[in-house]
Amino acid sequence: MNQTNSSRIRRLLAVLVTCVFAGVAGGSYADAESSSEVVELSLLTGFTGGDRAAYESIVNRFNESHPTIQVTMDVQPWDSIGQTLPSAWGTGSGPDIATPNFDPGIVYRYVDDGLVLSLDELLGTSETQLDPAVVPQFVLDAFTVDGEMYAAPANVATLQLYYNLDLFEAAGLAGPPATSGELAEYATQLTGGDIYGISLADHETIQMWPLLIWMNGGDVMSSATCAALDSAETVEALTTWSQLVVDNGVSPVGQTGAESDTLFAAGQAAMQMNGPWAAPGYAEAGVNFAVAPIPAGADGQVTLASTVPLMISANTEHPAEAQEFLAWWNSAEAQRQFALDAGFPPSRTDLADDPEIQSNAVVAQFASALPDARLYMPGVRVASQIDNDVFVPLIESITRGSDVAESAASAAQGANDLAGCEG
Amino acid sequence: MFVTPAAVVLGVFVVYPIVRTLWMSLHDWSLSGRNTEWVGLENYRQLVHDGRFWNAVRVTSVYTMFAVSAQLALGLALAYRLRQTTWLSSIVRSAYFFPTIAALSTMGLVWRFILDPQIGLINAWTGAVGLASPEWLRSTTWALPAVIVVGIWKNVGLTMLVIVSALQGVPPELEEAAQLDGANAWERFRHVLVPSIRPALLFVSVINTIASLQLFDLVFSMTRGGPLFRTETLVAYMYERGFRDFRFGYAAAISWVLFAVIMLVSVVQLRVFRDADVD
Repeated sequence: MNQTNSSRIRRLLAVLVTCVFAGVAGGSYADAESSSEVVELSLLTGFTGGDRAAYESIVNRFNESHPTIQVTMDVQPWDSIGQTLPSAWGTGSGPDIATPNFDPGIVYRYVDDGLVLSLDELLGTSETQLDPAVVPQFVLDAFTVDGEMYAAPANVATLQLYYNLDLFEAAGLAGPPATSGELAEYATQLTGGDIYGISLADHETIQMWPLLIWMNGGDVMSSATCAALDSAETVEALTTWSQLVVDNGVSPVGQTGAESDTLFAAGQAAMQMNGPWAAPGYAEAGVNFAVAPIPAGADGQVTLASTVPLMISANTEHPAEAQEFLAWWNSAEAQRQFALDAGFPPSRTDLADDPEIQSNAVVAQFASALPDARLYMPGVRVASQIDNDVFVPLIESITRGSDVAESAASAAQGANDLAGCEG
Repeated sequence: MFVTPAAVVLGVFVVYPIVRTLWMSLHDWSLSGRNTEWVGLENYRQLVHDGRFWNAVRVTSVYTMFAVSAQLALGLALAYRLRQTTWLSSIVRSAYFFPTIAALSTMGLVWRFILDPQIGLINAWTGAVGLASPEWLRSTTWALPAVIVVGIWKNVGLTMLVIVSALQGVPPELEEAAQLDGANAWERFRHVLVPSIRPALLFVSVINTIASLQLFDLVFSMTRGGPLFRTETLVAYMYERGFRDFRFGYAAAISWVLFAVIMLVSVVQLRVFRDADVD
């Protein structure tokens, strides 16, 4: 009896111990399985404007279609990101994915410090990859450093000419200018009273003055290290437009991009070169406007391209999932919807003829300019410094009456010194 | 033992950053601090030959000189007028103090709109009565004066409040005695009240000077240092070099020069007021 009881107790204990171990092991296994089921990624962007909802929509639809990868997007002002992200990534913390700046030139800084992953494995033709054949060439050029790609486009945009239909009609002009000569002529003709012919911004803005220079066949830099600010074409363009501003008052002097937008939205400017992000605000302000291609210049059509880099932290624990997210962000499905939501052209060239894209006149207009679009100072490592220290002060000087040739020569010297031109 | 917590806080949040910034200023400091190169005093050598740095020194000096003087003079005048506590003086004091508690960057944006030459309120009002107005923040002549005026408007309330409390602490018998001796209002103000509140005047002048030398947010929100760097202060320039160009070593060198200038000016102010006290 005792033996039987003892045996029962031992068997009971054995069962209990087995159950406990099985439970623990089972629990551990279940925990491990659940933690491997859902990968959580953090995304930091600077899209605080009216297009924020369209970006959030991309993330939400990715999360819905990818139950095993969940992305959380945090949105902060660009200045805040610039101040915190480098040290966060430098110390092994921070988000898995981020847009470090709206300037694609920032890629060099992060690559030089080894803060971001190479995305060469992202490129390919499978569903979870980004097909380089459909990525605009200027994007590939902007995000490739020493032969390796380090960023995917968060967006792609081009500049087009917004014009106020009411002011054009009042001035007796039937349609938008088709050439750079007409642009200058119309700007003068439309100026009068409280109305400016064109709203030009020279700082804290998308680049408008470089576009005027390109239209005349000039440029800011002729190569990655040498300036073209003193070339005959550049000086001619700067002379023409600074005289129009100083002598004819076709545009206010010293505007920021936001001030330039406000002027057009207030119906006080007849024309403005701007990106797709401006259209909803102008419509909301009640401006009767249309969008046309940037007038053709000396070398034909040209416009400015812009793209924001999406980069993956070198410290992320989920590089494959992060790359899958970037591939999805640039998928045909996501970009078609994003284009229709935000009014931006899609980041893929194969959607240019998409019926849905074509059905939206504004998106189609901006998308049609992609083949003629150029980045501002591509490949110039000190582009931001040249812009802030040299180009903006040059425009600020000549629109206040300084001698153009002299100022341009001095600016070219400054840019050459910064970029290390040896020519 | 009792000072240990305070010493730790001071060490971690004050001494360490100061020393660390000095260390950074002696390097070519990369974006994340991973790739740095020792350059010794090269950043300081470049500063000496940097025209934009000297422009920032000039702008900061002009702002400090006018803003601190005006804040002190206006604050003293307002405090003298409002030193008696009545319901009206309380309301007026609150009105003057209100800009002090508002965020400087917010105030900067509001003033940027008010001073906008195309759609701003001031030019609309002056235009309505047929007067021409300057371009204000877009004018190389008027941008700095406009920033100085807004800075004074923003800070005069605090100066006034400190001086009011100091004036209320002056025993009334002193003024009464001077009055009995035949002193007029100006003489009582100059020879009785002002000497009595000298510590408060020292305090506000030192605090205002340090704040003016460190001016950033007002410039950042109103002009970003433009046009043509005419409103670019030392801290605004340091921000440009540090967070736009990512030259953290160079920015650290600027901050150390500013640190030295603030130390020097503060010591001089303390010495001047102390000597005046001895006199």
